[in-house]
Amino acid sequence: MSILANKDTRVVIQGGAAGVNAARRMAEFCYLIKRPLNVEAFVYPPDAGKTNEIPYGSGLIAIPVYKTVAEATKAHSAINTSLVYIGADRAMKGAMEALDDSHIKVVSMITEGVPEKDAKLLGAHARKLGKVFNGPSSIGIISAGACRLGVIGGAFDNLVLSKLYREGSFGVITKSGGLSNEIIWICSQFADGITTAIGIGGDAYPGTDYVSYLEMFENDPQTKAVVIVGEMGGDLEERAAEWYGAKKRRVKLIGVVSGFCQESLPKGMKFGHAGAKEGMKGEGSARSKSDALKKAGAIVPATFGALGPAIKETYQELLKSGQVKEVVEPAVLPKLPKTVEEAMKADEVIVAPLIRTTISDDRGDEPCYDGYPASELINKGYEIPHVIGLLWDKRLISKQEAEIIKRIMMLSADHGPCVSGAYATILAACAGIGMSQAVAAGLIMIGPRFGGAVTDAGRWFKYAVDNKMNVDEFLAYMKKNVGPVPGIGHRVKSLRNPDKRVKELVGYVKSLNIKTPCLDFALQVEQVTAVKKDNLILNVDGTMAAVLVDLGFPVDSLNGFFILSRTIGLIGHWVDQNRQDSRLIRLFDYLVNYAAPKRREVPPLK
Amino acid sequence: MAKVLEGPGMGLMKKWGIHVPHYVVVTSADELSKLGQANDWMKSSKLVAKAHEALGSRFKLGLVKVGLDLKDAVAATKEMIGRQVGSIKVTQVIVSEMVPHKEEYYCAVKSTREGSEVLVANCGGIEVESNWERVKRLCLEVGETPSPDALEKLSKDAGFTGALTKKMADFAGKMFTCFDNEDAQYLEVNPVVVREGDGELVALDAVTLLDGDAKFRHPDWNFQFAAEFGRAYSKDEVEVMAVDSKIKGSVKFIEIPGGDTAMLPAGGGASVYYSDAVVARGGKLANYAEYSGDPPDWAVEVLTEKVCSLPGIKNIIVGGAIANFTDVKKTFGGIINGFRKAKGGGKLKGVKIWVRRGGPREKEGLDAMRALKDEGFDINVFDRNTPLTDIVDKALQK
Repeated sequence: MSILANKDTRVVIQGGAAGVNAARRMAEFCYLIKRPLNVEAFVYPPDAGKTNEIPYGSGLIAIPVYKTVAEATKAHSAINTSLVYIGADRAMKGAMEALDDSHIKVVSMITEGVPEKDAKLLGAHARKLGKVFNGPSSIGIISAGACRLGVIGGAFDNLVLSKLYREGSFGVITKSGGLSNEIIWICSQFADGITTAIGIGGDAYPGTDYVSYLEMFENDPQTKAVVIVGEMGGDLEERAAEWYGAKKRRVKLIGVVSGFCQESLPKGMKFGHAGAKEGMKGEGSARSKSDALKKAGAIVPATFGALGPAIKETYQELLKSGQVKEVVEPAVLPKLPKTVEEAMKADEVIVAPLIRTTISDDRGDEPCYDGYPASELINKGYEIPHVIGLLWDKRLISKQEAEIIKRIMMLSADHGPCVSGAYATILAACAGIGMSQAVAAGLIMIGPRFGGAVTDAGRWFKYAVDNKMNVDEFLAYMKKNVGPVPGIGHRVKSLRNPDKRVKELVGYVKSLNIKTPCLDFALQVEQVTAVKKDNLILNVDGTMAAVLVDLGFPVDSLNGFFILSRTIGLIGHWVDQNRQDSRLIRLFDYLVNYAAPKRREVPPLK
Repeated sequence: MAKVLEGPGMGLMKKWGIHVPHYVVVTSADELSKLGQANDWMKSSKLVAKAHEALGSRFKLGLVKVGLDLKDAVAATKEMIGRQVGSIKVTQVIVSEMVPHKEEYYCAVKSTREGSEVLVANCGGIEVESNWERVKRLCLEVGETPSPDALEKLSKDAGFTGALTKKMADFAGKMFTCFDNEDAQYLEVNPVVVREGDGELVALDAVTLLDGDAKFRHPDWNFQFAAEFGRAYSKDEVEVMAVDSKIKGSVKFIEIPGGDTAMLPAGGGASVYYSDAVVARGGKLANYAEYSGDPPDWAVEVLTEKVCSLPGIKNIIVGGAIANFTDVKKTFGGIINGFRKAKGGGKLKGVKIWVRRGGPREKEGLDAMRALKDEGFDINVFDRNTPLTDIVDKALQK
């Protein structure tokens, strides 16, 4: 048996993230005691119509979210309890809504900082309706082996250590949330554990006080003794003492009160919970409360530390008189399934990886490229081309190679607004499209006709060199099997109007006195093709391709050099258009050759 | 509970139709002279000047001057502004008109568990304190408004007769309306006086305690709440309060000069038991502190630095019960960072640290604390198997 919360308790949680967290904790407890989840619904207008996913064991349970308490109880008629996790400014309205719902008998409020008047109104309203309003500032209510409301009881391990999976004989009532857990733990170590523990909240005027709960415990045959943890301030402990002393009670009462330190503090200095404030002439002081409890016949240990032994003594007496029996613990308890991470840490599972990477790792305090920490590369003078070398070709390239890559990038960064890529980006920018999409629009243009011939050019020049072909053999092979030679030919440049970028790059690479078989071969090809047609020259794609193959970059990476370099220009165009706040572009009709049929009559539909 | 100084307190009473004397709150003698030119009552009435600060025994300290003309009031203001009393510096003076009167009465409204109580007595001033049995009370349920008949009966019971019966009943009714609408926890007027001339009841002095938690629904509470200590908050206390107002969960810090046992416990409930244990063991508290509700680690770090900066401390008690949802590893991470900073700054020399805690990730948190031994901290770490306050016994053992 227990009070307030039992196996029939079904819960609606009013509130957002904090309420969902509480539901998770409650699900852990339900799993421990092998009962279905006792949370049936949430009420949270912003998420109405959605569901909250609550882990239960290794599965997930979807709990619906409603706009109002009435909607929730209409759909889930077993709901009889509400937990309020709403902010202080709206908490009263929410709790009133729950109290006024005929299904709901118990409302417990976790919200802190609720105005005193609101708490009093809620308490009075609940009493009028014959219901229970617990809190504000309540950590929750837990009945061992039966029901958990809120996060009271703490983490899963603590639930097990505190033997909350099965009933004991001690009731617990505390103002403090943290101490409720401490007392539950003490009851489980010095005695047989608890029946129900209630956090009533540390406010000055909790909705329900010790006396109401003591009365409930008195009527619960399983509860043999009740531990109350009091504080200076107010008169709740005095009222409890009065109740206990009024007549012979079945339950034993054990009480401690904090706040003796007040006697030796500077006048006016108060601390602890909101309710911890002493009235005039020492009323509400720790001493007066403690004395009142003693006088009423309660067991009052001198300090908090003496509480454990006092509980133990009470338990031994109960055992001796046969009122309680030694508890036999269950042999096996459910274990909370571990997360994959926890299980891996404990060497309990093997997981087949989903992806494999060989280039970088960001799990430490900084990224490592092919094993080299980024900051160390920076501090030792390495530059962007070296990072490209590490991430694209997994090797630390030389200073000379880096210089070539840098020049390739500088030469390819932009080619004015008229080329396909830049034009597409500008068109998108003028249509108000964001940077990443507009730049992507430009990048989409890179293909066989624009900028995307680097990889193919590299592939075929390399093919020719690897197979020791001469130019004639190569051109014949290409004509038969491939088509026009990638990397050869330009839309506007020709022998007479050479591409300066090509001249520059070839000149620099040649000046280095390194072996460049691909470049040499490409230049031989140009000599033949340019004779046939003036504009069949080695273009910038072909030049880059030949040089990069000579440097040893994999063929598949070659388009990347153009894409990367040109991205610099595309970003520039997007920023440029935005800076100017350019207008939407619409093509003029005179730029279109309307070759469609003339306007004509639509025939009747057959 | 939030205390409000006389000025704003009288302002709230005036708002609800209670007669109060003319008054101004000034921050300089100059301001008062200028106001004197603008307001006739300052020239025509005798004046009272009082330091407008949360100070007890102002009369004894010479911070209340009565029977002044405007010139005297300006002089008194000049003298009071800037005076240092303990840790409080006088920055404001309230100057009000003296209300000529013969009789003094008493009226208050206070919060009770059931609702509230309206208190009335037909004596006032210091007389009421020595004749507390003459105070009559009307108990009200929360949500209940006192009827005119009930108020008149209260007034009669308190010994008022004739026309005054109804006047006092009306006054008490307005006090209740003010109390109820302003989310007050305590309102006291002592004395209530009969103004010579028009015979109206006037509130001469106001004690106002408001419910700070209700501030969200009172946009016109544009005044500061006063410290209830009888002293100003220290720089470190103000800094911790600033952190507290920004975070989920809470951190609290109050200095107690002269103590040698520093407190850094978790939880509003457990922290007081720890303080009790220190006092019971004959120790002297150097502070009160508390963190709870799973605060961020940086907030606990700030709190830790303040605790480590307390002068003359010999022990630090890092206690706590078994937490429900405060992450022990995370919050201890903040404490550890704070300890390291303090040690790096030359603090914590010869200071012993005592730790006891349980809760989510307790093992990781306690292990991290234990590891501080290797960094040269004098630290003793205990888990849930050591009763809550035993670390205090160990720390203060001679």
